Amino acid sequence: MNNRIREFRARFNLTQDDLAKRVNVRRETIVFLEKGKYNPSLKLAYDIAKVFGKAIEEVFIFNE
Amino acid sequence: MKRTILVFIVAALVLIASAIWFFLGYQEPSHMENLHLLIIIVLVAFALFFGYKRLTSERRGEPAEDEMSKKVMQKAAALSYFISLYLWVFMIYIKDRVAMDVEILIGTGILGMGVIFALSWLYFNFRGIRNE
Repeated sequence: MNNRIREFRARFNLTQDDLAKRVNVRRETIVFLEKGKYNPSLKLAYDIAKVFGKAIEEVFIFNE
Repeated sequence: MKRTILVFIVAALVLIASAIWFFLGYQEPSHMENLHLLIIIVLVAFALFFGYKRLTSERRGEPAEDEMSKKVMQKAAALSYFISLYLWVFMIYIKDRVAMDVEILIGTGILGMGVIFALSWLYFNFRGIRNE
């Protein structure tokens, strides 16, 4: 699963720290998400998409 | 915050208990006991690193543990349990082949479990967790 968190974060001018605080996770989790080393739970994916005002499938791209 | 402080308290208690065992014993510590003390110090250092990570997260206004850190912990616990079974099988195997006190043997097994857990945690913490 790929994601566009880094791209949206840059667009919204948010640091990893800012995003982590907004979705109530540690900064490390955002780092791992951006590197594709961690697949988030549905709730976290929803929270991140909500911060960017996008649908989950716009932020997270599932590769079959 | 309570659990973070608990990590430091447990680490301190382990260190104090180990120091009492090592320095106030009747006999000179053997090479194996020296090795045990070294492993205990490494495990305490790991606990302090773990506690420090939690503390810095809290100070930054982030949660001390989140879904990823919980998952890392669960995965590390599961893997270390699995590997520990083999460790104990190995310990039973060498029990009859190497002249060693039972206390030392059990101590080695318990410390081995601690080391396996620390290594499993480091493995998942740096490798990350993908849906396999």
